[in-house]
Amino acid sequence: MIRLPAPLLVWLLMFLALAGKLHAQQAEGGRAVLVKALLSEDQDEQIQLIQQLVRLRDPLVERGLAAWRQSEVFLLERDGGRVPVVLDVQLDADGKARAIQLLNGEFLKDGSGAELRFAAAELTGAENTSKLRRAIKATMDLYALSDPNEKIRRDAAIKLGQEQNPDYLTVFADRLKEEVSLEVKDALTEAIALTRAADADPTVRIPAIQQLGEMRSINGVGYLQELEAKAKAEPSKYGAETLNAAHTAVVQIQSYQAWGNLLGTAFRGLSLAAVLLVAALGLAITFGLMGVINMAHGEIMMVGAYTAYVVQNVFKSWFGGSGGGFDLYFLFALAVSFVVAGGVGLALERGVIRFLYKRPLESLLATWGVSLLLQQLFRHIFGAANVQVTSPGWLSGSFVFNDVLFAYNRVFVIAFACFIVVATWLLLTRTSLGLQVRAVMQNRAMASCVGVRTDRINMFTFAFGSGLAGMAGACLSQIGNVGPSLGQNYIVDCFMIVVLGGVGSLFGTVFASLGVGITDQILQPWLGAVLGKITVLAAVILFLQWRPAGIFPTRGRSLEG
Amino acid sequence: MLRSFSRTEAWLLLLAAVVGFGVLPALNTFVSPDSFFHVSTFSLSIWGKYLCYAVLALGVNLLWGYTGLLSLGQCLFFSLGGYCLGMYLMLMIGNLGQYKADIPDFMVFLEFPKRFPETGGLPPHWIPFRNFWFAAAAVIWVPALVALSFGYLAFRSRIKGVYFSILSQALTYAASLMFFRNDFTFGGNNGLTDFKFILGYDLNSPSTKRALFICAVALLLGVYMFCRWLTSTKFGLIQRAIRDSENRVLFSGYATAQFKLFVFVLAAVICALGGALFVPLVGIINPSEMAPDKSLEAVVWCAVGGRGALVGPVLGAIGVNSLKSYATHAFAEQWPYILGALFVFVTLFMPKGIVGLPEQWRTFRRGKKTKPEDAPTSTPSTAAKPAAE
Amino acid sequence: MTPEFILMLEGVNKTFDGFKAINDLNLYLDKGELRVVIGPNGAGKSTMLDIITGRTRPDTGKVEFGKDTDLTRLNEYQINRLGIGRKFQTPSVYTDHTVFENIWLSLEGSRGLWQALVSRLTTSQRDRIHEVLQTVGLAARADVKAGSLSHGQKQWLEIGMLLAQNPKVLLVDEPAAGMTDEETAKTGELLIGLAGKHTIVVIEHDMVFVRQIARKVTVLHQGHVLCEGTVDQVQNDERVIEVYLGRKKKEKPGPTPALAAH
Repeated sequence: MIRLPAPLLVWLLMFLALAGKLHAQQAEGGRAVLVKALLSEDQDEQIQLIQQLVRLRDPLVERGLAAWRQSEVFLLERDGGRVPVVLDVQLDADGKARAIQLLNGEFLKDGSGAELRFAAAELTGAENTSKLRRAIKATMDLYALSDPNEKIRRDAAIKLGQEQNPDYLTVFADRLKEEVSLEVKDALTEAIALTRAADADPTVRIPAIQQLGEMRSINGVGYLQELEAKAKAEPSKYGAETLNAAHTAVVQIQSYQAWGNLLGTAFRGLSLAAVLLVAALGLAITFGLMGVINMAHGEIMMVGAYTAYVVQNVFKSWFGGSGGGFDLYFLFALAVSFVVAGGVGLALERGVIRFLYKRPLESLLATWGVSLLLQQLFRHIFGAANVQVTSPGWLSGSFVFNDVLFAYNRVFVIAFACFIVVATWLLLTRTSLGLQVRAVMQNRAMASCVGVRTDRINMFTFAFGSGLAGMAGACLSQIGNVGPSLGQNYIVDCFMIVVLGGVGSLFGTVFASLGVGITDQILQPWLGAVLGKITVLAAVILFLQWRPAGIFPTRGRSLEG
Repeated sequence: MLRSFSRTEAWLLLLAAVVGFGVLPALNTFVSPDSFFHVSTFSLSIWGKYLCYAVLALGVNLLWGYTGLLSLGQCLFFSLGGYCLGMYLMLMIGNLGQYKADIPDFMVFLEFPKRFPETGGLPPHWIPFRNFWFAAAAVIWVPALVALSFGYLAFRSRIKGVYFSILSQALTYAASLMFFRNDFTFGGNNGLTDFKFILGYDLNSPSTKRALFICAVALLLGVYMFCRWLTSTKFGLIQRAIRDSENRVLFSGYATAQFKLFVFVLAAVICALGGALFVPLVGIINPSEMAPDKSLEAVVWCAVGGRGALVGPVLGAIGVNSLKSYATHAFAEQWPYILGALFVFVTLFMPKGIVGLPEQWRTFRRGKKTKPEDAPTSTPSTAAKPAAE
Repeated sequence: MTPEFILMLEGVNKTFDGFKAINDLNLYLDKGELRVVIGPNGAGKSTMLDIITGRTRPDTGKVEFGKDTDLTRLNEYQINRLGIGRKFQTPSVYTDHTVFENIWLSLEGSRGLWQALVSRLTTSQRDRIHEVLQTVGLAARADVKAGSLSHGQKQWLEIGMLLAQNPKVLLVDEPAAGMTDEETAKTGELLIGLAGKHTIVVIEHDMVFVRQIARKVTVLHQGHVLCEGTVDQVQNDERVIEVYLGRKKKEKPGPTPALAAH
């Protein structure tokens, strides 16, 4: 659902103005009809009256109907007649409540003007048979068509359309006249077409089928397929034209669905690619540029994710669990996790890695040891179970485009991935610091000779790469579980991405993430998650046969000995 | 072949053989359980397990210590060996399982009779494993084949150093994901377990356990002597030459890829043999044995004991695993801390492991007078040479 | 061309990431010749050796050995087995092996895997190793680990390893780097002594050394042969002077630091 605040506001105002005028006339009628229905002895009449209520909406009527369905409408004997009431929600000390008259919404009083109180248990509810209950349900469903919430209206239209009940057609048509939201209008049109498509009269049915096809109605495709099958089985009953129309419509809708699937796959692939990219970018720096095999990379991401969790808790204690103040926590969390993870990276570089620059295989072992330490440490502090990170309001939810669901957090990860790639690229290529970094990474001895403080640059670069990993962790906290083994789930993928992209190439990493992400999502529907993943791993290994140095090989002369 | 061994080494091997073949089994059989000197059947099994791990470590070392190939996937071959023998053991349960069926329990549980109705539920590739000798041969050729295909691809495209490590890790990761799947027909998550008989002998009887322990001793000694012989041939020289300067070897006319492939396959088979014996001793094999971190652990054993010397990995495997058994009982929570710290400490301060400590001590004693020169590969060649006039 | 050439490069081109490392290079070597190749940094000297030895494949051009062996189709060890030995710029020896073992592994003979497993060192091989060690002056250090040799000794050891292969063509990249003047002179004598039996290509910067050994000098510039001739001819060539110094004539092309060059 696309939220368009400004048009929505206009629409609401219009609705309120209209509703206010209509309200007065309708309310009277609706309540009277409801009371009449309640007092009637004839079930058929009752049902008919309930159906009339569809067009006479009123809060009290709605409440009354809901209560009737639950046997919570009581018929009190007053002055020789019966008065239908519902009980107020507020109970007094004795467990009794005031009675609200359905006719006028006023509390029932005795002769002296004192409000009467009743206990629900003492009274018997108005009779409701299953037929009545069904009628009430239908009316209330139709009420949903005029609910102020756009989403409820739309869902109601879709649901009622599926019932293909010709009685609703007039209601749909009435609503369609008043409806302002385009989406709900579409849903209503679809509901009408779907209902008509079940009509016995071919002259009604066929145009409706064609319309469903034109609308690319995914909700209608099930029925249309059924219809096509039936028309094939009994050509005499349905006729060739219906068959043709149904067939054309099904083809139209299915090709649209295929396109939608493609779009969905592309989006999911892109979003997985973004996740991988965000996760692997830090590694592309520490491994790709510096040549350090940091097996604790995943754990540094975990540090970032837990940092987000802690920041969230702090904001929760300040602003409560939701609202504007709380929603800002994530932006802070990103920054804080960059700093915290960068700090951890700095400590790791100073404490362990700087002794192992010449022994890459051993830096692999030592950092794996560090990863064990970090995992256990976090298990100790936060427990072995996953912790709960609540997404801020602006990251939860989704919108639908072309019947494809776009989750905000996924969209955010894609945007974030673009942002940090560009930022990193700018940092490396457009600043003097980046120049020094690249110099050190290409030829440490030479850079040192021309006065670059290689020690510092190493420190900075590693901390920066770790900081990126931390931000990645914070980002991942929005789309996955946060637990002590978070890092382990990504580490193999990350290394594969960097190797596939070509070690030392930022763009290689981008392309490799895209390749792996999209391939994975294309394969998944056929092979399932695990086999898809295995196939991707195998594909990467085979790809390296063809290009051993990755997609974008770095041809450094200093690399060859 | 005997010339390969130094005098001390020969004596130590003899001692190990006497203890392994004679003393420990005898203490288990003939000394009364109340005696201080009694060795329980349980501890024999535990020690047998350590010995299998030591074989695995020798395989890792042959690659890493002697050829410079750090494979992070050796546990894959260990497990493959284990699975091959495990399949045989599984079929030997007969109908004594929980379901009293003719096929292993998990196949009943996973409704294999529906999937493979023509064989009564047994997947066709399981059938030959009824034969012990087929299974024993598979212990060798299955891992060898996997190693051959992976190694061929890797070495052909000259993937080396850390890239080789990363790819081998990915390989074992992919394989473990595969084995975790139920429809991969190897018992999924739970793996293969509840074995009853091997070659008709009851697996739970003390005498079988004793025999298995003796097999483990024999395997370890055999593999050790084989490695010693191998590393003392010209092949061994080339192996280490590849480790130190692969280009020089290549430009001296040796097809290094073939040599590496040979060592890789050989190491895979060694690991698989260890795994095959591990399964009847421990009584279970499941996919977590081939998870990437198990292979890394095996690498730690080598690093702790000292790679590049044959006895190092054996010491490391037995030492670290005894420590692990003790620690996981005494303070389970802290074990990951100990293991992690061990990693960092050993790589930073004991690059040559326990075996290298005496030498490290001597270098330290000699002090700064003669500073040991690092490999001078990065020495700028012209630095020493003044501008020629 | 005529088949007397033992090694021939014709119209060879190689581009790295848009950088033209070798540009229409032609080089012809007579049998038994000692050729010195000089050129400023980045002239493509090492890349040329890479192309001859199969480490780098040229984009276009012919590289032929003897009458009609196309080297561009072969890989490093196959080319070596044909009889082309290469010494690297930075000495590359097996540091963990003894000097003796270093030579042993390089000794002419089978390179097969099976042979490596079963073969033993024969007396004649042993004699040959000692002979090579004598030649390069390392006989006394036969049982020392190569890693503990001095830089110059490692250079010699590597030359010795080349000799042990008994190659038809020796490609020697900066043999005198890191040597004292005395050692350099000895290396020169050694190379002169080898010429005739072997065809030798030497890449060198040190003009004193070049003067000592060279009969014919090839100057490379930007991946192309700038000129060829005797030392004097080359040193007086206007183009060479311009390339090296960018200005007036001087006694010799100055040394250029070869730190990043390979």
